[in-house]
This record gives sequence, C-alpha cells and structure tokens, in this order.
Amino acid sequence: MNVMITGAAGGLGRAMANECASRGYNLFLTDINEDGLTCLKQGLERQFSVTVTTMACDLTNTESVDKMLDVIDKHGIRFDMLLNVAGMDYEGEFMGHEREKLVKIVLLNNAATLRITHAIIKRRRPGKKFTIVFVSSLASMFPMPLKATYAASKRFLLDFATSLRQELKRQDVNVLTLCPGGMVTTPGAINGIKAQGFWGDATTNPLEGVVRNTIDRALSGKRLYVPGMLNRILSFLGKIIPSTWVAKVIYWRWKEVSHNGSAS
Amino acid sequence: MKTVVITGASSGIGLETARLLARLGYNVLGIGRSEANCNKAKELILSENTNAKVEYFLADLMQQREVNRVSEKINAYLNERCNGELHALINNAGCVRSWYMTTYEGYEQQFALNHLAGFLLTYKLLPALKKAQGRVIMTGSDSHKGIKVHWNDVMLRHRYNPLTAYKQSKLCNLLFAKGLNDRFASDGIRAYVVDPGLVNTDIGNKDTGFLVNLIWKIRKKHGVSPDVPAKTYAYLCEVKDVPDGLYFYLCKEKNYSKEVTKENADRLFELSERLCDIQYGKVGMT
Ligand SMILES: NC(=O)c1ccc[n+]([C@@H]2O[C@H](COP(=O)([O-])OP(=O)(O)OC[C@H]3O[C@@H](n4cnc5c(N)ncnc54)[C@H](OP(=O)(O)O)[C@@H]3O)[C@@H](O)[C@H]2O)c1
Repeated sequence: MNVMITGAAGGLGRAMANECASRGYNLFLTDINEDGLTCLKQGLERQFSVTVTTMACDLTNTESVDKMLDVIDKHGIRFDMLLNVAGMDYEGEFMGHEREKLVKIVLLNNAATLRITHAIIKRRRPGKKFTIVFVSSLASMFPMPLKATYAASKRFLLDFATSLRQELKRQDVNVLTLCPGGMVTTPGAINGIKAQGFWGDATTNPLEGVVRNTIDRALSGKRLYVPGMLNRILSFLGKIIPSTWVAKVIYWRWKEVSHNGSAS
Repeated sequence: MKTVVITGASSGIGLETARLLARLGYNVLGIGRSEANCNKAKELILSENTNAKVEYFLADLMQQREVNRVSEKINAYLNERCNGELHALINNAGCVRSWYMTTYEGYEQQFALNHLAGFLLTYKLLPALKKAQGRVIMTGSDSHKGIKVHWNDVMLRHRYNPLTAYKQSKLCNLLFAKGLNDRFASDGIRAYVVDPGLVNTDIGNKDTGFLVNLIWKIRKKHGVSPDVPAKTYAYLCEVKDVPDGLYFYLCKEKNYSKEVTKENADRLFELSERLCDIQYGKVGMT
C-alpha cells in the first residue's frame, strides 16, 4: 500500500505517518518544512521496516507541485491512499489580520487541497481500491466568529468531500472527512486548551486514537468521522439550532477564552 | 577542578543541584531549553558566589538534532578548558505530557525527553566521561515501580496515558543505568539513579492540560524543597569509595523494581540505539 500524506511534518501528519508505518504502508510524505520531513523519515525508518520517501513542497505554488509530480512520475509511484492533512489557521477577528494572510488560509486549505487531490487521484494504482481522507474540523459544523475564514474553509472541504464521494463511488474510491475537535498537535495548542479550563480537556480528542480510527474507518468505506461523544453532540446541535444563535454563542465564548488566554 | 554537566538545570531539582555543586567548587555546565530561565539560573548562582564556575547551554533536548548540536559544543568546551574530562553527567531534564505528542522524529515526548535524550547525550559525552572515570546520574522516581516496559508499543500509541508514559520513562532510567554499568564499569564509569522523592516543583504545570495541572498543584504542596534531593546528587558526585548500588534516596541505597534485569536493560539498549541511530560499542570510532 502506498500512502501520500500532505502536511506530514506537523503534529497530526506525524501521528498519521506513524500509524500508517506501523501498519506496514509505504509512505510518500510532503510538507513545506524540509527539516521536519528529514527528521520524521529518520524516526519512521528506525522504528518500522517501510519505505519512506519525502519531498518538500509548497502546495500553494503550482510550480512546486508540478516538480513534485514530475518526481513521482519519473519513479512511477502510484498511490492507494491520500491523506490531506496540510492546513492552517490564524485565529482572531477577520479585520485584525493582514489581508493576504487570510487569503492564504483559503489558498492552502482549499485551493491547494483540490490541486493535490486531483493530481493524486490521477496517479492512483490502476485496478485497486483508492481511499482519500480530508482533514476538516468540528469548526466546519458551525459558523465561527473569530475563526470565520478557517471554519468556512473547513466547511468547503466537508461539502466538497461529500460530493466527490458520490462522483467516485462507482470507481472503487472511498472519501472520508475527519472532523476533530481540539487535538494537541503543537505546543501552542496546549495553551489554547489550558485557557478553556475543564472544557479544554473535555473537548480534546486523543491524537493517537483519532488517527487509528480515521484510517480504519476510511478503509471500511465510512463517510464522516467526528471523534468523541461530546463533539458528536455539538455537531448535532449545530444542525438543529439556528446558525445566527450559534454564531452568537460561539462569539461570546471565544471572546472570553481569548481574554482568559491572554491574561494567563 | 571537577566538571559536571546537568540537564534541566534551569529550574526545580536540576537548578538546586547546580547551585549546590557550584558551591562545592564544581565547574557546572547546565543545559536548559529556555534562554530566560537559563540566564536567571546563572545569575542566581553567580550572585551567591561571584567566583562560581558556571555556564549554561541552550537546547531543546527532546529533539535529537539539538542533543547532537549541544553535545558538540560541550565536547569542544571540555577539550578546550577541561582537558577533555567530564566527572559527572546528570541526566535530569524531564517532562509530563497530558496527551500523546511527538517530537520531530515522531517519538512520544516523555519517552524522548525523559529517556532517549539522556541515552544519546551520554553516548556523545562518553569519551570525556571515560577519561575522567566519571559518573552518570539519572533522575529517576519511585513511580518506576509497578510497571513493565511496553515493548510492543513503547511510544504508547495504543491507549496513551500520561502516568503510564511517565512511569515507563522512569523505569527506562533504571534500565539505562544498569545497562551502562554492565558495559562500562570496567572502564571506571559508574551509573546511578536518584529517587528525589516528592518534590515541590512545577513539572506537572508546564505544557499540561487542566486535569494534570490540577492534580499536580495539589500534590506538589506535599513535596519537599528541591534542595533536599540535590544533596543526594552531590553525595554521588563526591563519594570516594564508589558505591555498588544503583538506586539512591536521601544518600542511601534503596530497592528497585524487579523489572530491572539484564535482559530488559539489554533490550532497552538495543531499542534505544536503533531509535538514536548510534552504537555504544563503537564509541570514539567516528
Ligand atoms: N518533582 C518531583 O516530585 C519529581 C519526582 C520524581 C522525579 N522527578 C524528576 O525530576 C526531574 C526534574 O524535574 P523537576 O521536578 O525539577 O521539574 P522542573 O522544575 O520542571 O525541571 C525540569 C527541567 O527540565 C528542563 N526541560 C524541560 N523540557 C526540556 C527540554 N525539552 N529540553 C531541555 N530541558 C528541558 C526544564 O526547563 P525550564 O526551566 O525551561 O522549564 C527544567 O530545567 C525530572 O526528570 C522528573 O521526572 C521529579
């Protein structure tokens, strides 16, 4: 099994890579952070007997992606699975950020994800089942003031994945969308969780369990994975409560958390 | 003048040990991850004695490339100013993590910092330790008891639990010390593990979540001040007749887990060598 992981050098990407390698899958890892890829490749090869190929690439840059695809084609690498992990966010008010920074969120989370998904489906292993995972977020279930661009970009992925799944169903492709709540993938994430006190712990999904279940579910043909009972309840509420109310509640809650966060 | 390297010397037990050893006239080389904390620590030690010999090195020891980088710096320092001799290495830096988090290599962080960092640093400093017939001292803990190494999943990717990860890493400290003695006692190197007891430090309040934070805030109030365990390190650095024991609490030998066997120590050595891409048998050959 050959698996491509984007955003592989980040916290979630590293956990995904570990999970896949422990199952004996060969990996093609990409990320913008070349040093991170080198370290991860070493760590994986010392632990597991799998082949790990890495290539640094800026997915928002067409040329950079084309170069990577050239390498893939030159070596005749074909894939059985694509894990779209690369993504980013800048929290805070829309007008509090520089214009191009905000645009970059959509360029990576959406435009680049489409680019790589199209390219890798074209390079699926012929005659074999193909699996795609999109990493969306619990934030895709609600309008989210103070995370407005991010939440909308994750909603894009959720809806897009559902449609793509339908289109590719007869071609032996499964598409799963992962919508996690908070996960501790970066040192900064801990401060965010701490600032929320008890609720931070309660809505945090254990990374190692999420990645294992994600792969299991994607392979067994599931469509959506929202980890954690509390998060499933929240996503259900998001469907039945009017979105203007949800936006109000979320706005006040995050205002308070970011206030606590900066105070501590 | 004797030289000692102490990791995690910027706060807690490591800082108090650095203070005490500086007072006893050691040349203290501390390692910490935060520039601000290292500077504060150095100032504190110098404020007690302007003639104290103390230097701090910055490194995030969880990341192997940082261990490699800082050990090169320290080796250069030792060769230039200390005749290439290191009398003691205290592997003390440690952490608690509420959740499964990984290093750049994708290794679980408690295992990476509490065990692997010391394993790799000791390897890098072994020639200097050999030259001085030095001692390697790990900060262990009584929590190493009542657990086995999860050989099939040392990174605990299946059902991570902060306490399990911590206990296992502390058991690894004992296994590592035993493995070192088995291999290098004949070269005059001795390894020990200190049980500091329950100590009032902030270890459980750094980079942890709500629950671990709360539990540690309550628990640490019952702990002793970090200058209590510092005396045990000083004792192990100073004592002339090399003690045979492995595990020490308040300057006295203490019994340890039955899991600390030659078989397990060898197994951990083999695994850790693979995870660090080093071979202890080939020290000095590179
Ligand atoms: N406290 C206890 O009751 C107790 C009991 C048994 C064993 N221990 C062990 O004692 C040792 C020291 O802990 P402590 O209680 O003194 O806690 P501490 O005050 O938090 O000290 C830990 C030290 O390690 C440093 N450190 C943390 N992460 C690091 C990294 N990635 N790279 C380099 N340095 C790093 C810290 O630097 P900063 O100053 O920047 O935080 C600090 O100097 C640990 O190994 C712990 O497991 C403690």
